[in-house]
Amino acid sequence: MGKIFLVAPDAPVEAAAALKSSRTLGSAGIRLGVLDNSKGNADHLLNMIIEGVKQEFRVDSVVMTRKPFSSKPAPDAVLDQLAKEADLVVSAMAD
Amino acid sequence: MTSLGSLLQKPGALVECDDDPEAVFEFLCEKGWSDGLPVIPPTPERVERMLAYCDRDLDQPVIKIPPRFGAATPVRVAANAVMAGCKPEHFPLVLLALEALAEDQYNLYGTQATTHPCTPMLIFNGPAAREAGIHSGHNVMGNYHRANAVIGRAVRLALVNIGGAIPGTGDMATAGTPAKFTFCVAENEAASPWEPLHVELGYPLDATTVTVVAAESPHNINDHESLTPEGILRMVSGTMATTGSNNAYYAGQPVLAFGPEHAATVASKGMTKAQVKQWLYDDAVIPLSRFSEETIARRFRRRNADQYANAPLDTPVHMWQKPDDLIVIVTGGAGKHSQYVPTFGITRAATRPLKRADGALVKSVQDLKRG
Repeated sequence: MGKIFLVAPDAPVEAAAALKSSRTLGSAGIRLGVLDNSKGNADHLLNMIIEGVKQEFRVDSVVMTRKPFSSKPAPDAVLDQLAKEADLVVSAMAD
Repeated sequence: MTSLGSLLQKPGALVECDDDPEAVFEFLCEKGWSDGLPVIPPTPERVERMLAYCDRDLDQPVIKIPPRFGAATPVRVAANAVMAGCKPEHFPLVLLALEALAEDQYNLYGTQATTHPCTPMLIFNGPAAREAGIHSGHNVMGNYHRANAVIGRAVRLALVNIGGAIPGTGDMATAGTPAKFTFCVAENEAASPWEPLHVELGYPLDATTVTVVAAESPHNINDHESLTPEGILRMVSGTMATTGSNNAYYAGQPVLAFGPEHAATVASKGMTKAQVKQWLYDDAVIPLSRFSEETIARRFRRRNADQYANAPLDTPVHMWQKPDDLIVIVTGGAGKHSQYVPTFGITRAATRPLKRADGALVKSVQDLKRG
């Protein structure tokens, strides 16, 4: 059977941005960030996660944030706050 | 301007398979480049012909389609248009629809990835839509009419193949909708008693536009008996007022597509489109008590606390936020039926006019002839 060339109808996946620095947990406490995506039970799930993290690690502070709509990206102000006030961020959804 | 030949030299631009229709179909399905139906093989020759009425840079994306954010260049979109069965004359309208989907207010990321069964409904107005053969008469939302079938299908294929809206990974729809194969209509401007949608939105009558809406499947409104505007509208509002609709909880802009006969009755005493919208906004309501206790507690009292925190159970819940949010068009053939199209919630319709690359409005796709 002969061969045929086709124009690929897909697009290459863009490379994800690399981390700007490596992150390791030191002896200092964690500044924990939480992003609630506003689904019905996200807050319950995230509160359980916060309690779990506190049991395993030293947590100095928790900053709670929430998206106004689950289907849209978080506003820049929320992301800026998390970048400034958190060492790591947990985001979760739960209907 | 970059040539097609040079673009196809890039790694990954071409793929090779057996030269047999069934083998090509199997190959594309195995790659995940499919909507499950047979396609026309997108050979370089066919893709070049598809680009005959494209005056854009062939390598310049018209949109990066989420969730994968693949770059929808004219060449890649043309490959999908070939697969869908488009004619070259259809292609500018496929690109136009993708440009409209790129508008922020449409929320393409959310509508692609959601569990909700929404898909772009393409509503075309104007001369180039008629020239392309987009049907606006009998069975307008059904099968048979090629331009409606293939233009909507090409957009859907691009959303899957370029954007990665793969069920279960990029498209998380619980059940989806048959409208995800294609959902493309033209307004029946000749049969409408009102100004067409694009004129209502401020475009010239001879402009060609597409309005994209994140739509569910249409729901029929059968009314063979009513002889007055209020009679027809009462039947319409009864069909709209349902508890499971996203539009009851969020924003969004549902579509009312009047059949020409219903539209004629509603307009028979001079009722304007704006008055129709206001009438339906006021009448298409559900008392809060019709929702489940959990929904009242969580979705209304908690999430929309400013409006419902202490609202009595007989408080009317409107089916959309502002009267003018309802999109009203006239389409279809003879018969006493209209269609109601609910939408995703966190989305707004987007309208784009057909223009040349230099920004001039075009009345015919011939104005876009390449070279």
